[in-house]
Amino acid sequence: MLKVKNLHATVGGKSILNGIDLEVKPGEIHAIMGPNGSGKSTLANVLAGRDGYEVTQGSVEYLGKDLLQLEPEERACEGIFLAFQYPVEIPGVSNMAMLKAAMNSMRKYHGEDEVKAGEFLKLIRQKADLVEMKHEFLKRAVNEGFSGGEKKRNEILQMAMLEPKLALLDETDSGLDIDALKIVSNGVNALRSPERAMVLVTHYQRLLDYIVPDYVHVLANGKIVKSGDKSLALELEAKGYSWIDGTDDAAAAVQQAS
Amino acid sequence: MITANENQSWVTAHADVALTGANVAWLNHQRQSALAQFESVGLPGVRDEDWRYTNLRALKSNDYALSASSPLSIELAETANPRLVFVDGHLDANASTGLSDSVTSLKESLELVEAYFGSTLPKEPHGFTSLNTAYAHDGYVVHLKPGKILDGVLEVVFVSQSADAVSHTRNLIITEANTQCTIVERHIGAHGTVYLNNVITEIIAGENAHIDHYKIQQESDDAFHMGGVFINQAKGSQVKNHNIALSGLVTRNDVYTDMLGEGAHMEMNGLVVGQGRQHIDNHTEVNHAVPNCTSDEYYKTVLDDHSRSVFRGRIIVAKDAQLTNADQQNNNLLLSKDAEADCKPQLEIYADDVKCSHGATMGQLDPVSLFYLKSRGINAEAANALLTFAFANEVIERINVDSVRQELTQILAGELLSGLEELV
Repeated sequence: MLKVKNLHATVGGKSILNGIDLEVKPGEIHAIMGPNGSGKSTLANVLAGRDGYEVTQGSVEYLGKDLLQLEPEERACEGIFLAFQYPVEIPGVSNMAMLKAAMNSMRKYHGEDEVKAGEFLKLIRQKADLVEMKHEFLKRAVNEGFSGGEKKRNEILQMAMLEPKLALLDETDSGLDIDALKIVSNGVNALRSPERAMVLVTHYQRLLDYIVPDYVHVLANGKIVKSGDKSLALELEAKGYSWIDGTDDAAAAVQQAS
Repeated sequence: MITANENQSWVTAHADVALTGANVAWLNHQRQSALAQFESVGLPGVRDEDWRYTNLRALKSNDYALSASSPLSIELAETANPRLVFVDGHLDANASTGLSDSVTSLKESLELVEAYFGSTLPKEPHGFTSLNTAYAHDGYVVHLKPGKILDGVLEVVFVSQSADAVSHTRNLIITEANTQCTIVERHIGAHGTVYLNNVITEIIAGENAHIDHYKIQQESDDAFHMGGVFINQAKGSQVKNHNIALSGLVTRNDVYTDMLGEGAHMEMNGLVVGQGRQHIDNHTEVNHAVPNCTSDEYYKTVLDDHSRSVFRGRIIVAKDAQLTNADQQNNNLLLSKDAEADCKPQLEIYADDVKCSHGATMGQLDPVSLFYLKSRGINAEAANALLTFAFANEVIERINVDSVRQELTQILAGELLSGLEELV
């Protein structure tokens, strides 16, 4: 589904990704872990097509297409969804209006008819229940005045509505208390399917107690330095990032030891 | 300075026209002094500080005749509200509903308005204001006796349909103590028609009066609209003015309030949506003359194409006006490289125990918000439209009359959300 090869990217002239190789197949869940500044979020944002990131080398193939040639909205229409680390507040646009615009835009892209008002309403209420969001939130402006947990739940609601093929979850666990983490995780788990792949970007192992990944990759200095199954995350939790070669923490640990 | 020669014949050559109240002494007196005033100042020009960003060349290059009365030639949407209809400045009684003891026309109420007519005008009016006083021929008059509450919403529609006509309209809202009213003033015109609307609404807010006044300007794209809303506020009065300018070629609006009694509150909301070569100039002035008054001003501008806007917002806090609380915000969204917004906040504070704040922004749509929408599959054009609509709609959301807010949201969606209207 997704083949990332030797991906290099810079932000403002500073190189952040230094040769990422990653292959994701339908139905798989990959966790990308790593210390702050390792490039985790950059990888998610580059895949979603955010401005300000320059790909200097490498390629990304998604469902047989050259992903890097597509506009962000085309990527979304092709089934890529980015759950933001910091969901954006959009005063004046209601949750429902945004999702309706999104669904219709995607349907138009695929040559389908617009969603019927009744059908849309039924669907969005059903998905709101999935993330335990009160229906009154649907009429409120996107994320405006939402708590951190509510914003993250709203991301999952959007994901549930848009039914992506490949979901990129960028630090979806950050800022969540344990109850919110459970709700968000339940929402994500409900969306697991043999056709849908997910890439979870996270700093902490905690999220992976609730959403169990098939693969764990550790990113350091813009490269994947170690890959394994879910036990790798537990090992990381126990030993810290300094345990992995090539991380800044490792360098620091070596320096301290010497 | 404009010389008499440059003033076109339309300005003062009305000898053959029957003027409203030609035999009414007090009105004639005001008329004469207004004409004298006009003779000394003429039409404004870019050399006048208050007009330096507003070029009136196009307005001056045309000639206008005082509008004659003619039957309404367009069909207005049905409404459940009482509605007065003026055609080219003349009341169309057949098309109007809601005339009552409290709601009349200027022509029928000259005796009633004598004590108020002109009482709210600036001390040094510009040429259009003087001409309005000199040639005011009709308008609506709302007079609320103490304790009177005007139920529901009164709509007043000014339809301009005759080419090259000038209308000098004078409206008065006179409210005595403990009264309440909601008035929606709408200006519409046949597209492609050139005309000049010179409209003044005087609002005299009595003690504890609650007045919600809307002015929605949807003139012809070739029309000139020179407007003034002048307000005097007595103790405890609460006045809201919503100034929505959506079309017209050149628009000028002066919205001035004098807070003359303690505990008064003024809310000024403004929205400008400029396209093509439209030019919209808003001058607001809040005069805190006495202590303990509050004012809240919120103006937003969206400019596309070659459109231009001017915002001059003056707040004056007199020496004795302690405990004043005044806020002013002016946010401008520029969608095109060729659009221009000029913003001039002016705070003159002579008292020391006051709270005054103001803010002005100029900018483009937020790229992060745009990316957020695009990452949900929304195409660039729709994402731009949604965010532009959202920016402008924040002014509309301050409207607390449901029916008016919903209608304006729909109008705004029609202007800014082409093809996406069903979203709101």
